[in-house]
Amino acid sequence: MADPKKPRAAFAPWDRRELPGVFDVEESARRVGTYKWIEMRLFEALGGWVATVPELDVKLRLGTHCYHHAWHAELWHKRLPELREMNPDRLTGPPNENMVAFVAALTEPEAPELTIEKLVGVYRVLIPHKIAAYTYHLNNTSTITDAPTIRSLKFVLQDEFDDWRDGEMMIQSLLENAEDVERAAAHQARLEQLLVAAGGIAGPGTIGDPWAKPLEPEAEVPA
Amino acid sequence: MKHALPVEELARDERFVRVELFTRAIDPRTVPDDRQRAGPRIKITPDRPDAPDAARVLMHGIFMGELQALEGAGRTCWDFETGSGPQEAPFELKLNMARQCWDEARHCEISVKLGEWMGTEIGEFAEATFLYEAACNPDPVLRLTGVNRALEGLAIDVFNTMREFARAAGDPVLEFCEDWMLADEVTHVKMGSDWLRKLTEDDPERRQRALEFQRVVDKLFSLGGFRGEDDDSPIRLARRFRELAGFADEEIDEIAGLSREARDEFLQHRAALAEDARERTGTDG
Ligand SMILES: [Fe+2]
Ligand SMILES: [Fe+2]
Repeated sequence: MADPKKPRAAFAPWDRRELPGVFDVEESARRVGTYKWIEMRLFEALGGWVATVPELDVKLRLGTHCYHHAWHAELWHKRLPELREMNPDRLTGPPNENMVAFVAALTEPEAPELTIEKLVGVYRVLIPHKIAAYTYHLNNTSTITDAPTIRSLKFVLQDEFDDWRDGEMMIQSLLENAEDVERAAAHQARLEQLLVAAGGIAGPGTIGDPWAKPLEPEAEVPA
Repeated sequence: MKHALPVEELARDERFVRVELFTRAIDPRTVPDDRQRAGPRIKITPDRPDAPDAARVLMHGIFMGELQALEGAGRTCWDFETGSGPQEAPFELKLNMARQCWDEARHCEISVKLGEWMGTEIGEFAEATFLYEAACNPDPVLRLTGVNRALEGLAIDVFNTMREFARAAGDPVLEFCEDWMLADEVTHVKMGSDWLRKLTEDDPERRQRALEFQRVVDKLFSLGGFRGEDDDSPIRLARRFRELAGFADEEIDEIAGLSREARDEFLQHRAALAEDARERTGTDG
């Protein structure tokens, strides 16, 4: 065995975690507050829809998914005080009014014939946007300082991918003709426009800005 | 989507047929004629020739209850603003209700698989919507006492009794299903007990209203007094599991008393219905 007294690096050669991340504590908390808000709106809507959906398999899946998003809301609720926000309600909110309009349109369908619209709003618009926002956060935050958020993001993303697949398959199973496809596409387009106007679930910059110029390298000091 | 969805709007496919509770209770397919005459206190035992059918009827009724419990818990997530006011639901309560949605969805899945095992088709027996009706109360605390404490308390008694029946009958699938659902129901009843205490801590009047609502539901759904503590009670009060779920001894005693009252009233009600039917059809029964 190697000499236990011989000094080793704190980071093993395979451990490439880095400082810093793109977000400071305040920005991280702001994002997490918007995540909690949208997870709440989603689990409430899924819970409300259960009674309005006649398709038995869909009814049961919505009941199951309802809990997934409630659990995500709870994770974000618990993370906020750790990000210096001792009153989690203060940061629990939409990023802007456009996001409120999106949620109003998302939760509008009620009649038992509107299962396609209900599912399209969640699984073709909102959940793909959540996956995008969470992935951006995961890939840009500091893997050292923000490890607790990363751990939650990974659990949450696993649920989002699984639920997205469930939802997409339910939608495909309900689309029987060209008219259904058009219905689904029209509703998706309407909601997508609202979410684009909101800038994503965390507002503008939800997934960064691909046109932003890279930071200028600091001028070299002549020797 | 509006807040508060009336029971008539519960979405179902064409297999499901709804009837009123008492109509269901006097339907000979649900309760055969000879049992109707014998009164409500017929326990399901393996030696009864109609035991498999009686168990199928009961478990299909439980399936319908699971479906409505899922819908009711879901509506409680949606119907109320988040907050601590009397017409609001706290965040943590909604989280509990969402958890209950998942559990009840699993209970529906279990019930469908169990139905296949027992030879029952979905919708084979009529649906009574009393559980969802209790879940429509505008006060979330009353929803939790009516549904979680009263009706899911009843579910504890049913699952415990049917688990014993399954053991006696040598049905491992039924026993397995009851065992798991019983565990979840204890959790749901405890949610009801905990939230009742928490939300009415400083509001004795609201607590009183909630307990009164629970009493009414308990009595109504003692279903002719078929639940009790006697050896021949079709459904035995599961004292130990009720204690785990936050019931005090006196509360369990009270339910036993309500069940006795309900039995007497059921017999009177049935006699009146039979009399009414005789008058309308001109037969003598
Ligand atoms: Fe259940
Ligand atoms: Fe339950």
